[in-house]
Amino acid sequence: MAQSQVYQVVVLGAGGVGKSCLTAQFVQGVWIESYDPTIEDSYTKQIPIDGRQCMLEILDTAGTEQFSSSESTPASCRSIGPTPTQTYQPTDTTTPIGHGFLLVFSITSKNSFNELKALRDTIIQIKGTDQVPMVIVGNKCDLAEERAVSRAHAFAVSHSWNKTHYYETSARSRLNIDQVFTDLCRQMLQADAEQDRFMQAQEAVYGPLGGKSTSKRDLYGRHRRRRRRRDNGPRCVIL
Amino acid sequence: MASSHDGRSARQSKRLSVTALYLSMSNKERDFEIEDELARAQKNLRELKSKISSQSKKNFVLEKDVRYLDSRIALLIQNRMALEEQNEVANHLDEVEIQEGDFPNDDKTQKYGNLFFLLQSEPRHIAHLCRLVTMAEIDSLLQTVMFTIYGNQYESREEHLLLTMFQSVLTYQFDNTPDYSSLLRANTPVSRMMTTYTRRGPGQSYLKVVLANRINTLIEMKDMDLEINPLKVYERMIEKIESSGGTLPPDMPKSVTAEQAAANEQVQKLIEPRLSTLMEIANGFLTTIIDGLEETPYGIRWICKQIRSLSKRKYPEAQDQVICTLIGGFFFLRFINPAIVTPRSYMLIDGNPAEHPRRALTLIAKMLQNIANKPSYAKEPYMAKLQPFIHQNKERVNKFLLDLCEVQDFYESLEMDNYVALSKKDLELSITLNEVYSTHALLEKHSTELAKDESSHLYTLLKELGSAPPQLPRKENRAINLPLFSRWETAVDDLTAALDITQEEVFFMEAKATFVKIMRLLPHNSVVMRRPLRLDRIAEAAATTRNDSMMVRKGIRCMELLSQLQELGVVDKSDGFGLLREEIEQELMHLGSLKEKALRETVKLDEVLRTIRDHNGYLVGQLETYKSYLHNVRSQSEGKQRKQQKHQVLGPYKFTHQQLEKEGVIQKSNVPENRRANIFFNFTSPLPGTFVISLHYKGRNKGLLELDLKLDDLLEMQKAGQEDLDLEYVQINVNRVLVLLNKRFSRKKGW
Repeated sequence: MAQSQVYQVVVLGAGGVGKSCLTAQFVQGVWIESYDPTIEDSYTKQIPIDGRQCMLEILDTAGTEQFSSSESTPASCRSIGPTPTQTYQPTDTTTPIGHGFLLVFSITSKNSFNELKALRDTIIQIKGTDQVPMVIVGNKCDLAEERAVSRAHAFAVSHSWNKTHYYETSARSRLNIDQVFTDLCRQMLQADAEQDRFMQAQEAVYGPLGGKSTSKRDLYGRHRRRRRRRDNGPRCVIL
Repeated sequence: MASSHDGRSARQSKRLSVTALYLSMSNKERDFEIEDELARAQKNLRELKSKISSQSKKNFVLEKDVRYLDSRIALLIQNRMALEEQNEVANHLDEVEIQEGDFPNDDKTQKYGNLFFLLQSEPRHIAHLCRLVTMAEIDSLLQTVMFTIYGNQYESREEHLLLTMFQSVLTYQFDNTPDYSSLLRANTPVSRMMTTYTRRGPGQSYLKVVLANRINTLIEMKDMDLEINPLKVYERMIEKIESSGGTLPPDMPKSVTAEQAAANEQVQKLIEPRLSTLMEIANGFLTTIIDGLEETPYGIRWICKQIRSLSKRKYPEAQDQVICTLIGGFFFLRFINPAIVTPRSYMLIDGNPAEHPRRALTLIAKMLQNIANKPSYAKEPYMAKLQPFIHQNKERVNKFLLDLCEVQDFYESLEMDNYVALSKKDLELSITLNEVYSTHALLEKHSTELAKDESSHLYTLLKELGSAPPQLPRKENRAINLPLFSRWETAVDDLTAALDITQEEVFFMEAKATFVKIMRLLPHNSVVMRRPLRLDRIAEAAATTRNDSMMVRKGIRCMELLSQLQELGVVDKSDGFGLLREEIEQELMHLGSLKEKALRETVKLDEVLRTIRDHNGYLVGQLETYKSYLHNVRSQSEGKQRKQQKHQVLGPYKFTHQQLEKEGVIQKSNVPENRRANIFFNFTSPLPGTFVISLHYKGRNKGLLELDLKLDDLLEMQKAGQEDLDLEYVQINVNRVLVLLNKRFSRKKGW
């Protein structure tokens, strides 16, 4: 088996929209019925994408907004956490921010849909680009009679966000679950390939180590870029 | 027997509440009169409480600003912000101190006074509004409701009205949530409000008392790795081998599946002791939480009680287990566990936890949550190894959650408090114009829902007020004292009638209260203080006091009351007014313990106030930094257009190694102890936003080392959570150095 690339996926969204159910369906193929709010769970799963094996490390986050430290936490604590209002944010910088994002809402709750914008804004802000692998997921589509967000509206909003793909899923009946993760995975692969092409082009023009705007994504999101930046930031001169 | 017992206790409880009423009404008077230790202790406590209330409001407002700026500063650093947005950011940095002021005219004052009286005394309007607003609108409403309308955190009437509001909102949620697994899960304006509620003074004291020690102990064990996820443990093993230059043994492939990692013997060996350590620690947390039952704030317990009764009502068949799950969905999920997972944001610790303690805290929170929930090990199979902990504690946690609900209701005392409020002629609300206007705007926006009924008071008031004025710029915002009154309910002049109590009881209460006051004012060694008390002599002694007309008046009043009560047949002179005397003696005994209680509470609240003040200092510092940075950015972009102003070099300012160490700027030093006295630092700012720190050794002309610092970089490091800056000889704390630079170099207009 070829050495597979590890991609980190962060699942975000409001409380009770079914992030864990979605993730557990994908990873273990089980449906969780019980009352079991998440604080922070992680999973791994390998999936074949177009003949390549992709290892996914999935971080399932708390939807309960109280786990967000944003209410009173200083900036220093939440550089990495993806969201200002809803999600528990790892307070340590070594926690990778993730390569791809699933933004989940429940089609039965307008509020949960409205919360996605802030999540997306923060991701873009942290990443410093809007070219971030991302999928919008409208979960609980089996509850058609309770629908509060129309498919057309959700699709239109997703499309307006840099043509982000939109899926409707049902974790309960395992509808569209694999498709969501596969789509995200393809996006991450593609982003990586583009990055490599970009790097090669840069090297061709400027020689190895490229120009100043290299921002190859690594495991730690923007760390590499920052480190480079720091090189011409504070500097010590031994006199 | 039961009935006679009930009859008596009802009468007694009525008398008690009337006493409370009486005391609360004469509250102000008491301040001026009595100057004994109890009075001082109580006054102290009252002041402390009002400071906490107002300080937490200030912090709330500051936090909002910091939060806003946090979200913008990254863009600013990356130079991705348009000019108008920069201006908006600047607006958030304007002086926060709000001037006192008034409404432009009396008519408005009256109408708003009436509106806010209605909102405060009838919580259902706010409760309804909470259901209508969007998450985007909640922030301004939250501030006004939690810190202004019901802002006196320690005042029973406001507290009880606020809880009544929660009750109506919770009831609505229970009635409108289809299945129980969705209950109390979504993030709603209401859940936001409940969180904010748990973080006011009483909740904060509780967390500090109950959790702070446990968390701090854990935080100190920076190197204790308690990871039990086999995959992570395996990865770390590999990393360790590779980083020490070793080669991986053939039976250890670089990447494995979770199942393979879990099957690895070495991994199992590592995890085994960690499991028991985790269980031990979690058990410790649980024990303090359970032992802290009586410390748990009344309001939080009362909310638990509501959840219990609402679930019983909605699911009559439900087992205790289901009910406990829902109570745990509030108590653990929304109150305890967030504080354990992000202790810094709850002001329980100073810095950010290191990676290992952070993960340990998360695991502890997960374990506690699992006891309350129905855990599904389908999520993370390795958590099943902690099952023994769940089984061992399930019962005691369920009992604890049910015990939490065992608190008294407050309806009776609330009714009383409301009467008192009505009888007070000086009910006021300290509020800002913008709070008034934004509340008005929200009411207006949702008026079709809120004020459907055209005969309702709310409808009338909104119609008279017309459309809401726009928000004022910060500089024009004013803090006002809005007199609250009701056009429809007249002030209660005759409390006796309102409360349905007899004239005898009123006399009895007054006599008791007045005698107690006299006794507190008389010197302790006075003859009349001897037991058994002779009430007629006490009254006489007071009435003949020299040079104290107030005492004399009280003495005379007591004599009058004694004879009136005698006439009414309530007391009997021949047994030395036994009934009244006993109650007075009891009351005096009670006063001693009241003082103790007040002193104990003072100690606790002092701690709370200190914590929130520290936090305030931090927030102000953070705003200062942003302010400086923004000023810097703007002056640079202006500089492109007109000739750069001449910048004065500031500094150098000299600091000794010791000074910086004391201020926490140096967090680690590699300089040998005996040389530290000879080391000093110079701080210079050649340009706004640029600093040079140089390290010198006494007696040498040239510095040993020089460091260029840019404000951008420091901010970016801070934002990235990078706390230390390596200066080779010393390690500098980024946050502290920012504070120091701020203090030293703030140029007149920013830097």
